[in-house]
Amino acid sequence: MKRREWMAVVVGMSVVGASATHAQVRGTVFGPGSRSYPIAVSPLKDQSDRGTGAKLAVEFADIVVRDLDLAGLFKIIDRSAYIEPPDTTGITAEQINFDNWSVIGALALVKGSVQSVGNDLTVEARLFDVYQRRQLVGRRYRGDSPTQVRRIANRFADEIMAQFTGERGPFDSRIAFVSTRGGRFKNLYVMSLDGGDLLQVTSGKTLDLSPSWSIDNRSLLYTSYKRGNPDLYSLDLIASRETRLSAEKGLNLGGKWSPDGSRLAVALEDKGNSDIFLLDRDGKVIRRLTDHWGIDVSPSWSPDGQHLAFCSDRSGVPQIYIINADGTGVHRVSTEGNYNTSPAWSPKGDRIAYTGRAGGRFNVFTVKVDGSETQQLTSGQGSNEDPSWAPDGRYIVFSSTRTGAALLYVMDRTGTSQVALTHGSGDDTSPTWSRWLE
Amino acid sequence: MGRRLIPLVAITFLVAFTSSGCSKKKPGPAEGAGAPGLDENALSGDSLARAQAGLNPAEGGPLKDIHFAYDSFELDESARQTLQQNAEWLKDHAKAKVEIEGHTDERGTVEYNLALGAKRARAAKDYIATLGISADRLSTISYGEELPLCREHDDVCWQRNRRAHSVVLGAD
Repeated sequence: MKRREWMAVVVGMSVVGASATHAQVRGTVFGPGSRSYPIAVSPLKDQSDRGTGAKLAVEFADIVVRDLDLAGLFKIIDRSAYIEPPDTTGITAEQINFDNWSVIGALALVKGSVQSVGNDLTVEARLFDVYQRRQLVGRRYRGDSPTQVRRIANRFADEIMAQFTGERGPFDSRIAFVSTRGGRFKNLYVMSLDGGDLLQVTSGKTLDLSPSWSIDNRSLLYTSYKRGNPDLYSLDLIASRETRLSAEKGLNLGGKWSPDGSRLAVALEDKGNSDIFLLDRDGKVIRRLTDHWGIDVSPSWSPDGQHLAFCSDRSGVPQIYIINADGTGVHRVSTEGNYNTSPAWSPKGDRIAYTGRAGGRFNVFTVKVDGSETQQLTSGQGSNEDPSWAPDGRYIVFSSTRTGAALLYVMDRTGTSQVALTHGSGDDTSPTWSRWLE
Repeated sequence: MGRRLIPLVAITFLVAFTSSGCSKKKPGPAEGAGAPGLDENALSGDSLARAQAGLNPAEGGPLKDIHFAYDSFELDESARQTLQQNAEWLKDHAKAKVEIEGHTDERGTVEYNLALGAKRARAAKDYIATLGISADRLSTISYGEELPLCREHDDVCWQRNRRAHSVVLGAD
């Protein structure tokens, strides 16, 4: 898939025969990780001439199923149990025989149609309440390439989440990460949540580390040793063009754009000591935020852009701190353990995720921004590190060595429902979750 | 290329630099090869250059590695003695420049370990400078946990990786 395609706008979302009210069921009925709400996702009805949409009809359903499975709320009823073949049955509430779906245990149902003519793609997707025999939401999507069925499926999965939880799901987004799957060196990759659309975006026998997304999802900030020194780069993924933003001698590490995209925070090295600086869009220093002999590293912005969390060992061991964006008000926020690093501020603003050492192992924790209610989300085997939040603030992607090599996992914010996202060779680390693509 | 026989190791790195297509700013071992007192054993290449040539990082060399306690950049007595020996070597090879690499073991997260490696490299550099070696002969770089000597998940390997490694860059 060309890079340009996964960023292209999915055009013309119009509402098709939707009912105004949301599903009766809400998040209280099924909790995070419960995997309990039974839903059937039928392949689309192919309304293309000569069956050109047949594969897309199945692919749509596969991706919706994969997304809903990651969400951890739904029990997906296996396709082999479905009685109604998609191509010979209706897709509107009037046409569907809901008994065929309630008899296999479905409480919710996805049906729809696809038309693929040349490059034009039209998908109609509908979500039904089986018990009430009515449509909950319907959408018509248009794409300018058949490959956009993937983004359309992610969009509709987010819609299903909105219907059942009141909040849009996180699936129309991308994850960038570092991987050694190409060999012994570290390069950057981008993929969608179901592991598809995998793109290698940097190459070379070097170390490309610590990526983070721009707020428009077009580019990645990252640190690379490609010219010898660990410099900070901005890689425009659409134009395939790169700018070196900061090349101070020593570390230029962990660059993160502010939520309004006007400046970035980064750790720069001054005589061996790392401190947090704010740079403008051209890489010029605006302000030095920390000036302490301890290690200060890994800035993460609050969603309102007024504060940053960061890691500092000024107390003697690494802990998580918060500082105002003007450099005032430094205070510690992690209260448990004596090794806490890699903070990530939730898009909801209320919690900070981080990596903490407990019992000799590294695990993902969250803490409220006032320092209360520390929660350990992972435990057991392996190291679980470098959390990054989904745009809806309800899911976290992280890197785990629980099966040997490091792979990326997704879990919800209470730590239930931990599912592997990658399965390849090599180590997959330093994941960063984009905003919604639209 | 002239009248001297260029050491085989230096040729290997010259090929590696040109074939990887990157113009690295840091001086490689091909420069200054054959300078008085610096033979091919001295010029082993920095850990990233070695990786690009398909080699593991070097352990020691004419300048010895020093090691650190977990999550620390303090120089213990053994480290100071080693750095004193390294300083003596540098006095005997007055034109040699050195890059000091800071490394960590695999535990902990990538960014914190890069910052810790930087502190370790700097601690070694600062101490050598107090022994009379001019600071402009000494540069530092951190590789954090990225270029380990070994990959076993045990104390022996971790201890080996928690190091400052000095790479002779050749003379002007």
